[in-house]
Amino acid sequence: MTNYFQKKNNQWSILVIIILSIINILNIVYNTPMVPDQHWAQKIFYVHVPSAWIGFLSYFIVMISGFMYLTSRDNKWDNIGLAASEIGTFFMALVLITGPIWATPIWGQPWVWEPRLVTTLILFLIYIGYFMIRAYGGYIERMKRNAAALGIVAFINVPIIFLSVQFWSPEIQSHPQVEMAEQPSEILSPFIFSLIVFTMLYTVMIRYRVYVINLNNGMNEDV
Amino acid sequence: MFLVLLKKELFIELRSKELILSMVVFGIAIVLAFSFSSNLSRAVVINYASGMFWITILFVSALGVHRSFAYEKEYDAFSMLVTAPIDRGLIFLAKWVSGFIYLTLMEILIIFPFFKFLMIDYPSNILIAISTTLFINLGIMAVANLVSGIAMRSNLSEILLPILFFPLVSPIIIAATKISTSVMLNDSYVLWEIWVLIVGSIIIISGLAGYVLFDYLVEE
Repeated sequence: MTNYFQKKNNQWSILVIIILSIINILNIVYNTPMVPDQHWAQKIFYVHVPSAWIGFLSYFIVMISGFMYLTSRDNKWDNIGLAASEIGTFFMALVLITGPIWATPIWGQPWVWEPRLVTTLILFLIYIGYFMIRAYGGYIERMKRNAAALGIVAFINVPIIFLSVQFWSPEIQSHPQVEMAEQPSEILSPFIFSLIVFTMLYTVMIRYRVYVINLNNGMNEDV
Repeated sequence: MFLVLLKKELFIELRSKELILSMVVFGIAIVLAFSFSSNLSRAVVINYASGMFWITILFVSALGVHRSFAYEKEYDAFSMLVTAPIDRGLIFLAKWVSGFIYLTLMEILIIFPFFKFLMIDYPSNILIAISTTLFINLGIMAVANLVSGIAMRSNLSEILLPILFFPLVSPIIIAATKISTSVMLNDSYVLWEIWVLIVGSIIIISGLAGYVLFDYLVEE
């Protein structure tokens, strides 16, 4: 198997994403305007919302790859599902850390039963179970099928979990994603730039993780 | 074929009676713990009675559904079952319906101690209380059997089952608590209609997912 870092495409994509990430951070810190009532706390939106987007995108990919694995039994899909679930859970953890950091000065307390945050927490817990299934699932083929099924079940439940929590605690209105859509262009443009950079970073991460999983599995195919 | 599978599930329990018995004893023990922890304060109990009831049901169903699948592990009975020329989705449906019957029987036995121990009044509209409880039982058992199907043959099934089941069933617990509180307070149906719809969608989604995915989950 060709070394991941020896491929020209991969070298360029890593270099580009490092440069774009540095530009993104500098842009967030120095170039974005301060929102009067939120000050520095608002800047966490540029990380929090893209992290949430990547998290949910990852879990969507886990569902698709779970479906593809069950129908084709091609290990490639299981590897993609595993990579997406790991990276998705990492970004979901970021959401659960940055959310309370933002909420402490704005809502006055770190945890409020806000539907998106609660849905994220519930999904995060389900995915801890997902990794336990992968670790203690027993016979490997069965473990892969169980993990694929759980990936599908977890994602199709997202709308229901979100709706139920939303009706349960409807008084919470202020939220990063809701507020972002109402921001002026000097805030919205760097936010969209950050979203694009995070998505590009995600594609590099998932490609590399799939490569490492393939190496671990001793498979002879290029990423 | 579904009826044969259902009969098999019910016959096993009819002979041993260990599932219902353990569910009832466990349920009463939880109600007792709630009575102690609420300090028998009427204000606390009235506010939390619905939640306490459904938390009890949640724990008991996790116990019951695990035992129901553990039967199949003994002497590798499940391998023999899946070699039968039947639609495997029917195995899920039989487990779901039998689980629903066990849970309902358990509730019939536990409901009087629950109201008496916690010193709360029975709901005034008994028919609505019964029908909503049956409806919610169907939802809880759909999720429980689906999760159990995923976790049953893993090495740590007894740990994995509650870890997966509790987060996945959380929308039903929210909805069940809201519905039961509204029924106890005699609220108009319009106020809690949305929760019935949420439980209904979970029944449809989990039922369909279980029926379709079971084919893959039980493969050798």
